[in-house]
Amino acid sequence: MTQEMSFFERHEFMIRRLHSLSGLIPVGAFMVVHLMANASINNGTESYQKIVYQIHSLGPAVLVVEWLFIFLPIIFHALLGFVFIFQGRSNVSKYPYQANYRYVAQRVTGMIAFFFILWHVLQMNGVIHADWFRETIADPIGLAQFRPYNAASTAAKALQNPIVSGLYAIGILACVFHFANGLWTMGITWGVWVSPKAQKMASHICLGVGAIIAVIGLSALVGFYKVDIDKAEARELEMYEQGIKSGTILADPHKLIDSQRADQENH
Amino acid sequence: MIKDAYDQTISSFTVRIERQDGPGSPSYWETFDVTYESDMNVISVLQRIAAMSETATGEKTTPVAWSCGCLEEVCGSCTMVINGKVRQSCSALVDNLLDGTDQELVLQPMSKFPVVRDLVVDRQRIFRSLQRVEAWVPVDTYYDMGPGPKVSRAQQEINYPLSECMSCGCCMEACPQYTKVEVVRADGESDADYDKRVNEAYDTQFIGPQAISQAMLFNSHPTGAQIAEERLELLSGPGGVQVCGNAQNCVTVCPKEIPLTTSIARAGRAVTVHKFKKWFGKS
Repeated sequence: MTQEMSFFERHEFMIRRLHSLSGLIPVGAFMVVHLMANASINNGTESYQKIVYQIHSLGPAVLVVEWLFIFLPIIFHALLGFVFIFQGRSNVSKYPYQANYRYVAQRVTGMIAFFFILWHVLQMNGVIHADWFRETIADPIGLAQFRPYNAASTAAKALQNPIVSGLYAIGILACVFHFANGLWTMGITWGVWVSPKAQKMASHICLGVGAIIAVIGLSALVGFYKVDIDKAEARELEMYEQGIKSGTILADPHKLIDSQRADQENH
Repeated sequence: MIKDAYDQTISSFTVRIERQDGPGSPSYWETFDVTYESDMNVISVLQRIAAMSETATGEKTTPVAWSCGCLEEVCGSCTMVINGKVRQSCSALVDNLLDGTDQELVLQPMSKFPVVRDLVVDRQRIFRSLQRVEAWVPVDTYYDMGPGPKVSRAQQEINYPLSECMSCGCCMEACPQYTKVEVVRADGESDADYDKRVNEAYDTQFIGPQAISQAMLFNSHPTGAQIAEERLELLSGPGGVQVCGNAQNCVTVCPKEIPLTTSIARAGRAVTVHKFKKWFGKS
């Protein structure tokens, strides 16, 4: 090989293995925890709000964790994923085999997941938390709808539209399929399951894992749909005031909905 | 059983062939009518077509070019795409192909390799891949090294199926991760210069399931294993085992039923261990 090789070619093994690993750690692992935390809404407003309090007990470090362990790994995994997709040529019409369909499905669900996550993060989190951004851009077009200290009510409000929750259901299922099937291919890539028998068994286990996570993920959608928003808002305010008093949560009226935020700031 | 049915019903059948006059020239389709005989294979169909050199509409044409060798599915040279699926034409029996309502045979060259002419493709990249992973037993010495180590019966059972590979190209043709590389010869370019350019183009592209499996075969051979780590390094180079996308078409289309996906997973494991040793030091 006398020809000059590109950076990608010289480090292809490392790049592809990091891509494979990042799908499980941290992206896949985060997704599972995220879906489980969401599902706690089925225990009621308090249960879900408590988990969000725990996450936000990190204070400003939430941003660091968000970017370092969630946003950047997802961007890394997704952008490389797009590059890899365009390097292959699918051929299911000629070779309609089960694993070949999954090869295509892995790529299709990856793309759905990317656009779903992009929308979801903008809609709920909003990424930029400055006041000017919220007032001039986010609020008018419906971004950054989630308020960590009104976790249940704001999440529920954002998911009241059946079209939105329908798209969320598709997005969640795409993410979960991509994760479960990716887990299976990862086991082959890294050489965990080698023999055809082991690969078969692993595919059943991954299917089972995927099915369980899908049920957990979808159950949260149902849970949010059933939330009584006014009641939840009132309960969240109570929890906030008591949490501040007892010192179990960090005071930050920015993390409240605007009506409650104004009251708190006037205190 | 199918044969008996056709014996009474058809006297001839249609063969559509995707032709190409030379490297880089456009492909075109020609249709031929071939008189039915019992127990024909695709090679004998091509022999009849060459003898006729006349299309279904009665126009004179050049004989369709194809390559074949052993005629018993062990050399791999007659591999082509028959009715949309890659396989050897010697073992593709007309009586089995003309089943049901479709009384047409469609022959195409493999799509992942440069066409030389008609159904003949240049399979050099397959052999280059074997060179890239050093799929051989290194015996570079004049001295008598004595008999090699014994291979256990259990290991033989694992190695034998892998040794059946005939480098035919089916696994690569069916692989969605394996894409065509064609280097066009420049005007007045010498063979040596052209070969060098071709190999450079091949060397960063996916090696394919066959070469991965052969690397595993020679890493399991007691003398071949002397350069096992070297092979693993090559196997994780550009276009190495990491390119596999786990579509697993290779193992399904392999005419020799070689456990290619097992070899790929073995290679994945071996390379994982090899890299850990390399990065964190052997203990």
